[in-house]
Amino acid sequence: MNEPYVPVLFMLGLGFVFAAGSVGTSLVVGPKRYNRAKLEAYECGIQPSPQASGGGRVPIKYYLTAMLFIIFDVESIFLYPFAVAFNQLGLFALIEMVLFVLTVFVAYAYVWRRGGLDWA
Amino acid sequence: MTSVAPQGLPAVFQQSTIDYLAILPLLIVFGVAIVGVLVEAFVPRDRRHMVQAGLAVVGLLAAFVAVIVAAKHQGLTMGITDGASDRRLFALAIDGPALFMQGTILLLGVLGVLTMAERLGGVGPDAFTPSGASTPGSPFETNASRAGALTSEVFPLTMFAIFGMILFPTTNDLIGMFVALEVLSLPLYILSGLARRRRLLSQEASLKYFLLGAFSSAFFLFGSALLYGYSGSFVLGDISKAISTGPIEMNGLLVPGAFLVFVGLLFKVAAVPFHAWTPDVYQGAPTPVTGFMAACTKAAAFGAILRLAYVGLDTGRWEWTNALVVIALLTMVVGSVLSVTQTDMKRLLAYSSIAHAGFVLVGVLAFDSKGVGAVLFYVATYGFAIIAAFAIISLVRQNGGEATHLSQWAGLGKRYPLVAGAFAFLMLAFAGIPATSGFMAKFAVFSAAVGTGGATGTVLVVVGVLCSAITVFVYARVIVLMYFGDPPGDTGDAANAVEVVVPSVTTTFSIAIGTVITLALGVVPSALLDLADRASQFVR
Amino acid sequence: MLSLLVFLPLVAAVVLAAVPRLGDAVARWLWLGVAAVEVVLVGVAWAGFTTPAPGRLALDQQVEWIPGVRSSYHVGVDGLSLPLVAMTAVVFLACAVYSLKEARRPRLHAALLLFLQSVSIGLFVSADLILFFVFFDLSIVAMYFLTAGWGHANAARSALQFFLYTFLGSLALLVGFIGLYVYADPHTFDMLELIAAKPLAGHGLAAGLVLAAILLGLAVKTPTVPFHTWLPPAHTDASSVGSAVLAAVLLKMGTYGFVRIAMPMLPEAWRAWAWVILVVGIVSVLYGALVALAQSNIKRMVAYTSVNHMGYVVMAVGAAGLVAGDAAQARGIAVTGAVTEMVSHGLITAALFLLVGTLHQRAGTYEMAEFGGLARTAPKLAGLFAVGAFASLGLPALSGFIAEFQIFTGSIAVAPVTAIALLGILITAALFLLSLQRIFTGELRGRSFGFADLHPREVWAGGILLGLSLLIGVYPAPLLAVIEPAATAVVTLLGR
Repeated sequence: MNEPYVPVLFMLGLGFVFAAGSVGTSLVVGPKRYNRAKLEAYECGIQPSPQASGGGRVPIKYYLTAMLFIIFDVESIFLYPFAVAFNQLGLFALIEMVLFVLTVFVAYAYVWRRGGLDWA
Repeated sequence: MTSVAPQGLPAVFQQSTIDYLAILPLLIVFGVAIVGVLVEAFVPRDRRHMVQAGLAVVGLLAAFVAVIVAAKHQGLTMGITDGASDRRLFALAIDGPALFMQGTILLLGVLGVLTMAERLGGVGPDAFTPSGASTPGSPFETNASRAGALTSEVFPLTMFAIFGMILFPTTNDLIGMFVALEVLSLPLYILSGLARRRRLLSQEASLKYFLLGAFSSAFFLFGSALLYGYSGSFVLGDISKAISTGPIEMNGLLVPGAFLVFVGLLFKVAAVPFHAWTPDVYQGAPTPVTGFMAACTKAAAFGAILRLAYVGLDTGRWEWTNALVVIALLTMVVGSVLSVTQTDMKRLLAYSSIAHAGFVLVGVLAFDSKGVGAVLFYVATYGFAIIAAFAIISLVRQNGGEATHLSQWAGLGKRYPLVAGAFAFLMLAFAGIPATSGFMAKFAVFSAAVGTGGATGTVLVVVGVLCSAITVFVYARVIVLMYFGDPPGDTGDAANAVEVVVPSVTTTFSIAIGTVITLALGVVPSALLDLADRASQFVR
Repeated sequence: MLSLLVFLPLVAAVVLAAVPRLGDAVARWLWLGVAAVEVVLVGVAWAGFTTPAPGRLALDQQVEWIPGVRSSYHVGVDGLSLPLVAMTAVVFLACAVYSLKEARRPRLHAALLLFLQSVSIGLFVSADLILFFVFFDLSIVAMYFLTAGWGHANAARSALQFFLYTFLGSLALLVGFIGLYVYADPHTFDMLELIAAKPLAGHGLAAGLVLAAILLGLAVKTPTVPFHTWLPPAHTDASSVGSAVLAAVLLKMGTYGFVRIAMPMLPEAWRAWAWVILVVGIVSVLYGALVALAQSNIKRMVAYTSVNHMGYVVMAVGAAGLVAGDAAQARGIAVTGAVTEMVSHGLITAALFLLVGTLHQRAGTYEMAEFGGLARTAPKLAGLFAVGAFASLGLPALSGFIAEFQIFTGSIAVAPVTAIALLGILITAALFLLSLQRIFTGELRGRSFGFADLHPREVWAGGILLGLSLLIGVYPAPLLAVIEPAATAVVTLLGR
């Protein structure tokens, strides 16, 4: 009896059912009104063409913005638990947090100085 | 099911104890990398190269001094001892193998940075494209280089990679190991794509390395998850304890977990069958980066493999040893046999590095402190030789570009006896001829394996010896070509001839140091062998 | 003292290689000077030599080298190695004299040969397996460059073949050494300790495997049939000096390994395999002689006689392993003969190769058919070659006789079957006489016209070697007095 594996198998099955189910349901239930924007690879944000292989250039600004967002996103992930447990953690954690935030700001400074924020 | 559940963390917050002197090397390297980013942001363009290169070298040397200081502060650090369960939850293990690897990587890093800094009269590092983001051959690229753009970001990137590398053999838990793996890998993916010449090959290398590297990281992560499921902890010591006390029916988690974690690490050392990226990446990456990767990544990854094999999974050895033996055999055989057919110098050394990874694995499989010492020694000696070898390759040029095809090296010994002599000597070292460090390294590894590896060790050594005989043929062929071959198309056309450019003092220095150390460790190896031997004890 | 002997040529080699401004003339004379000093040093060492106590070496010197694996820089000599050291020094001196007119890159040539001399002497005096192996492999590397850089015809190819073949052999040797190391308690690479400890006594299979690995490595270098195939091309395409050193010194490294390492350290296994070794020896003798007889190329012929002569040595050490009854004295004679043969063959073959080299240098060929009646245009060459040939075929009053007489006396007493190998002497005699007749007698033919006779330096080079051979042949006592006690000691160790 491989008892420990039964839950694993169960999870596997559940995952499969969910994936197949949601795709299937959207096929059946979803409205089908196609237009130009709907047929793009990404419905919002970046224009995926022209292709780099054709010698054209890909607009990078979208990615830059996305990455800058991640910088601050990650920061907030740590700031929330820090704020919650602030009293328990004491001075040590405060210093750690300051160091962490400073490190993140270095990346920000780099992006700023090297023209990553110039939208034109 | 009881042992599966994670043991609860202490209810009260317990501040982790940190020995700052013990982790000083890590802090210095990381700090210098951060400062490097600031330098990129605030220092004017025309002074960046000098500032960055100087900062990196000084930082690495300072970190090396810090390693010597840290040797007095060995032990587990950055974590807590849980009073209730007596578990030692520490993120870093500052012990002999870790410090030895750190020191090795830092010194190799100095040589690597010095070769990367080679400008050959240009404004920026010669091996790197002035504008990595532009399409190869596009007008944008031409404009960028005409405007004097330069990629001095390579220095902070290298420092971040080195930070990951010295963290890798030091981490005491799987999560830390994964973080280190990523920190060392990501800068390398970028660096591989920045070659100034043959941009498409370089970008292809970068993409391949990234995709396969991401895959292997995923394997590592999956394996860690399985091991966590098995032992309820990421800390290596806990996993080891769990294996020795855990129920046998849980081996369904342990075996695939151990195997997947090893896959992630073996990918980094380019063990067969996880080696497919190596020749392409070694060929496509800028040559100084290739040398740096070959020397330092290997050292770091073997440090991590040692810790995993000797501290984390030691108690479950019988579960995974056989798989690792097969991998070591395959690595030696495939690496040496395929190196025979190579016609490109960088690919040749790539396959040779695969074979060398196999030899080092033989030492890992000795399961003895002698084996650990031998592995440490091997990795260090190989690193110095390979950095110098790639530095020499970067100097052999035709029409301004690197002449890496073997036929272009024909007759080099007649016109450039000194450079060819140094390269031939390094080849002899890779072949393991006595009076070079390569011999002492192979000897240390093989004698450790025969001594404590039992019958398997003997088989491994016999195969290893045969494989090194095969590789001798490869290196001998290069030497023959350099000294007795006729220069290609000897038409007297001076502009088209293969030439050795005269490097600046930095590259000369790293070639000279690499070669001299290779000789010195071949003649009087005892100092470093002793150091490696004394550094072969892990803390748990 | 011994270290000076080993490192003096090395220092000279480094100086020559590192200072290009030294002219070619300086290089030649420096080489000659160092080679002469070496001979004097060996003479001094010989004069001060007294047979060391059992389990000891004379003039020994030990410096810590790799203490982690208990390997040290340990050198010393006894009756087995001292004659070979002396022979090496003399052969290199003859080569230095012979090369006084070397036209192709004389500075590097001298540096390489000095390096090779350092390595060769180092090998014979080393009393540590790792040290021995280091010198063993470096000799291959140096010989490779010597052949490839100064040979002719297919030199690069032959050199590579030689390098790979003997390197593979050396790796087998290394595996064997590691085997000895692992079984020794405490682990050590020191030869004296290993001899005293007999590390694999009682491990039947393991001892056999370790011996097999060591024998394989040494047999390739010696070479014995069937591992001899690298030798003829290497000799044919090497320069005269290269061939002389290869045959005289490098081949001895294999046979020296038998008496220094394999026999005393693995006596049980050696005794068990003695018959195999004996038969390989006999086959080498006969095969080498027969193939030599069939050669039309004089240099190839001399090369194959090396296989033949090394066969005698292998046969003798094989016979020494046949411990039966109270034949200890006979076995001692066989080993004495083997060591004497090493010295004698070194001197004679070096002389022959140097002399034969003049043919190619003047006429551009080694084919015997291209010559005839050469004795008229080149009487000195004819005379010296005749002496060399007679010495090689074992004529009394020359060193070859002393050696082969003892080998056969000892071997036949132990194993009468070795008498078959006497045929080898017969064939050798035939082939040397035949070659003398074809090249030097009869009508003046082909390239013999206008053949310039030996230059004084060439006479001197051949003369030193053959003169010494003659001296040993007439008055062997000083040499045998050194060899005999050591040979007896080997036989005693083998009987343990």
